[in-house]
Amino acid sequence: MVLWLIFAAMMAAAVFAVVWPLGHKPSLGGGSDRLVYQDQLAEIDRDRADGLIGEAEAESARIEISRRLLAAADAEAAAATPASSALWRRRVAALTAIVVVPAVALGFYLRLGSPDVPDQSAFARINNAPGHQSIDSLVSQVEAHLASNPNDGAGWEVLAPVYLRMGRADDAVAAWRKAIALNGESPARQSALGEALVAAANGVVTDEAKQAFQKSIAGDPHDAKAGYYLGLADEQDGNSAAAAAKWRALLAQAPPDAPWAGFVREALARVTAAPAADIGPKTGPETGAATDAATGPAASDVAAAASMNETQRTAMIRGMVQHLADRLHADGSDIEGWLRLVRSYAVLGDRDKAKDAAADAKRALSDHPDEIKRIDDLVKDLGLAG
Amino acid sequence: MIPELGHFALMLALGLALVQGIMPIVGTRSNDPVLMSIAGPAALAQFAFVAMAFTALAVSYVTSDFSVLNVYENSNTQMPLIYRLTSIWGNHEGSMMLWVSILTFFGALVAAFGTNLPVVLKANALAVQAWIAAAFELFILMTSNPFVRIPNAPFEGQDLNPILQDPGLAFHPPMLYLGYVGFSISFSFAIAALIEGRIDAAWARWVRPWVLGAWMCLTLGIAGGSYWAYYELGWGGFWFWDPVENASLMPWLAGTALLHSAVVMEKRGALKIWTILLAILTFSLSLIGTFLVRSGVLTSVHAFAVDPRRGIFILGILVVFIGGALALYAWRAPLLKQGGLFAPISREGALVFNNLFLTTACATVLVGTLYPLALEALTGAKISVGPPFFDLTFGPLFIPLMAVMPFGPLMGWKRGDLLGAAQRLLAAAMLAALATAAAFALEHGGPMMAPFGVGVAVFVMAGAVTDIAERTLVLRLPLRAALRRALGLPRSAWGTTFAHFGIGVTLMGIVGVTAWGSERIAEIKPGASLDIAHYRVTFDGTFDRAGSNYRDVVGRFTVHRLNGELIGNMQPSRRAFPDRNMATTEAALMSRGVNQLYISIGDPNKDGSVPVRLYFKPYVLMIWLGAGIMFVGGALSLSDRRLRVGAPRPAKARARGVPQPAE
Amino acid sequence: MTRKQRRLTLIGGGLAVLAVAVGLMLNAFRDSIVFFNSPSDVVEKHVEPGTRIRLGGLVKDGSLVRGNNLNVRFEVTDGKTEIPVTYTGVLPDLFREGQGVVAEGTLDGGGVFNADTILAKHDETYMPKEVADALKKSGHWKDDYAQRAAMPIGGGSK
Repeated sequence: MVLWLIFAAMMAAAVFAVVWPLGHKPSLGGGSDRLVYQDQLAEIDRDRADGLIGEAEAESARIEISRRLLAAADAEAAAATPASSALWRRRVAALTAIVVVPAVALGFYLRLGSPDVPDQSAFARINNAPGHQSIDSLVSQVEAHLASNPNDGAGWEVLAPVYLRMGRADDAVAAWRKAIALNGESPARQSALGEALVAAANGVVTDEAKQAFQKSIAGDPHDAKAGYYLGLADEQDGNSAAAAAKWRALLAQAPPDAPWAGFVREALARVTAAPAADIGPKTGPETGAATDAATGPAASDVAAAASMNETQRTAMIRGMVQHLADRLHADGSDIEGWLRLVRSYAVLGDRDKAKDAAADAKRALSDHPDEIKRIDDLVKDLGLAG
Repeated sequence: MIPELGHFALMLALGLALVQGIMPIVGTRSNDPVLMSIAGPAALAQFAFVAMAFTALAVSYVTSDFSVLNVYENSNTQMPLIYRLTSIWGNHEGSMMLWVSILTFFGALVAAFGTNLPVVLKANALAVQAWIAAAFELFILMTSNPFVRIPNAPFEGQDLNPILQDPGLAFHPPMLYLGYVGFSISFSFAIAALIEGRIDAAWARWVRPWVLGAWMCLTLGIAGGSYWAYYELGWGGFWFWDPVENASLMPWLAGTALLHSAVVMEKRGALKIWTILLAILTFSLSLIGTFLVRSGVLTSVHAFAVDPRRGIFILGILVVFIGGALALYAWRAPLLKQGGLFAPISREGALVFNNLFLTTACATVLVGTLYPLALEALTGAKISVGPPFFDLTFGPLFIPLMAVMPFGPLMGWKRGDLLGAAQRLLAAAMLAALATAAAFALEHGGPMMAPFGVGVAVFVMAGAVTDIAERTLVLRLPLRAALRRALGLPRSAWGTTFAHFGIGVTLMGIVGVTAWGSERIAEIKPGASLDIAHYRVTFDGTFDRAGSNYRDVVGRFTVHRLNGELIGNMQPSRRAFPDRNMATTEAALMSRGVNQLYISIGDPNKDGSVPVRLYFKPYVLMIWLGAGIMFVGGALSLSDRRLRVGAPRPAKARARGVPQPAE
Repeated sequence: MTRKQRRLTLIGGGLAVLAVAVGLMLNAFRDSIVFFNSPSDVVEKHVEPGTRIRLGGLVKDGSLVRGNNLNVRFEVTDGKTEIPVTYTGVLPDLFREGQGVVAEGTLDGGGVFNADTILAKHDETYMPKEVADALKKSGHWKDDYAQRAAMPIGGGSK
């Protein structure tokens, strides 16, 4: 409400700025070329007096300027029809200004404005809304606590996954190490440490990470995270067959409702270059269609995603999106696929990729104007155009 | 709420621009002074609202309000405050806001200080200015809106490109914009004159301060950009002839020509139609400069496909304003009264010579910049037109211009005395010959032409000094009298001298560093040293240093003279920005007079050695020093009472008893 | 001089300067234009050894070999064809494996490209565009090029 009151005041000020002169007699001042020439004449005299120019030069310049001066004076006299201002014209002008200025501003604002979005400065975000404290400030509170109680193993264990989710993978590795040192080794901690190491290496399963996973799987042969990453390590070493074997084994021992099963099948499909649906036991009626992202993630995958942790979920979604992107780049005629791809990237926060995908889509669909329009609309809805 | 207020203010400004663009023109057409008088207050109000919008954006940046998409995408709470502010124009949307802010600022200046302008000219010019503003406000709102919001603000922003986080890059774009946009005023005045169908010598005087101001800013902006590239890109080049730079050079060349042709028009009433054309072309080149570069089109035609709406909008603006202005020109210019003609050997003739070469040089740059684009569009072949092209075209056109430059100011209006001017330049010419000989004798290596380049540069500088010496009669009068004369000279005379001297200084720097600069590139271990010119540079090792949002690996170097005298330390570094996974090269510079030693390093190897690029850059500082002197020259000219905007009538002249001309 | 003569002098002078400028430009275009080629273009068009060209593509992953005295060797690829490149000097800030690159130089008889300039433009979006175009044209553009490219430098400076 306050916002709209201020808007009203601003509109009033804007309209006033143009209507106010309409009610006043303009000062008829202002320069004219005659004044300039007079000034030039004076300048010549001054230069002559200072000896900057010769008499002959000054004289010819004087003649020339005087000629211009006369012409200007003549023109002024000729144009001396007294300037008049008709009342009706002023009224029309005032009315136009009163209508046009607010209409333009409101017209645009109602279309483009976001009056309901509150300001969220960094300062406000940290200090306001106790229930919605930013992760940053929560983390710094925990950090402060751990700085004075560095032997609180449980504290490190709480903090580590948060670090990982915030993208502070190096800190997550350090935190897990502390947690392991203080609370002892466990398969779950080892595989979490391994995951953090992988994240710190930008997705590469390093030897160090591999050791952590191996320790974990030695303690618990059914640890799915370790199983998955060890397969990934094989894949990254170029040993697709070994990776496929590990993942097949993982799927074989998977409980029927394992949340990560779809995800592992994705990976398996990647290394065996076959549709994921053909691999491994079918765990439910929908899974046949589950893994081709073109038809959308199947219900089981969605359910799986819901029960995964953040990292796994993101990884799974990214895998699916990548799959979709590859397919569309091979055959770009699928408008629905493109729309989903653009939206997915936007959801993942990858605005640049979303824009690129939209551009690719438009190129691929260049002879379907309707479909291009749909892409454009989506881009606009997602705020990518701005 | 603050971003929304800014958003709304921008919309109101658009509404005001429409009113300002239409009503004053209706007023001048129907000879209604009241309607004409709307232009001024509307321009001021428009500026106030645009400034409000810009301030709102700035506040959002300073407080890191990531609910504003533009702020989220281009800044970060870790950034130092000053770079949070400057990142406003480090991105497309924000830079457009700055552009429009400056545009309306100039409009407001005309409204507030153009009291010496005839009301009709002022009303028309402000209306044209409002059309430009309206077009770009619309462009911002429709395609490049910096006020798009995100309902759930992310808690950390994406960083600004670290290469932009540098004082040089932070401050030269506003300067360039002041230059580009400043030329909009002469454009508006030209269009206003065409609309009114009347143009005479007085027009040039009204327009000259605006051209001068814009030219000064552009000069400084170009120099700043060049210095930034010199020290930031890590290999000491000061000019690359890349499209972005060419885009700023072209308006400068055209603007310089405009500055000179406006003098002829003011003094002699000649070259009127040409001056109008130049005013239109200069701003057109500014538009092309800002927008073709911004839209990425100059890089590749396909850039349009990335964001067709923006590209097409820009293309539309260019077509409407440049095409419209030129069409209006073609239609109205023949109806204008022709100016007088003059003898080729005269001050006017010299200025025409200047114009001819400047515009031709500008045309070669334009061709070199756009040719690859045209070729790609037509045949699909991708080519690059690099420095060799410009060296072979721009150079041969610019050197004669420089060589003839000192003659101009020494020639009289109407009928010049070439022989007399030559005689008076004898001393300067001899000095130049001496410098050439000295360069041959003292400097070894480098191209054969270089000493002649030095000769030309010295001739230009000495010529400028000759001019002022002639005017003050310093060699003929006692010093006191000469000093009095010097103080009595119009400031614009001093301005000419400074500007011409400055270009000589710059030329000297360019010739010197290009011909006699030397470089050593090597991988060296701690303790090892490299010799360059008269210096021995020893590498002592590296150490780490943390910055606000970056980490430096700093190399420590000790510089000695070859004879063993210690001169100092230099600390170039590699700067890594973890947020962006990027690294930049921070060169270390050491000035020795106008020469510089320049070191940049690469990432250290495992064995402790680092790749080092070591340069000796003789005369290099003169390049930017010259630009500074040109700026001072412009400022002196601008402060000349005769040009001062809205200055009171010359009461002094009247008091002295100068007879008022009969009316 | 009469009015007419003066006018003619002016126009004649203008045309003369213009003619000189056109001459200079044509001359310069003959000598100093450098064509941009992708590795496939180089093979398909049989670019003559010794002709100055710009070669653009991606730096092949794992192909960068640093020799002594700042000699570097790497391969430029567009997904179809690879061309070995040699260069002596310090590589620009934006040079990375998997990232786009533009090299200027000449081919030698053995099909090795001797670059004397590796381009790094101060606008980070400037350089890779033509490379991206070439890659997209050859159908070997993948989004994960960008992803992969983002990795090495952080690791390198740790």
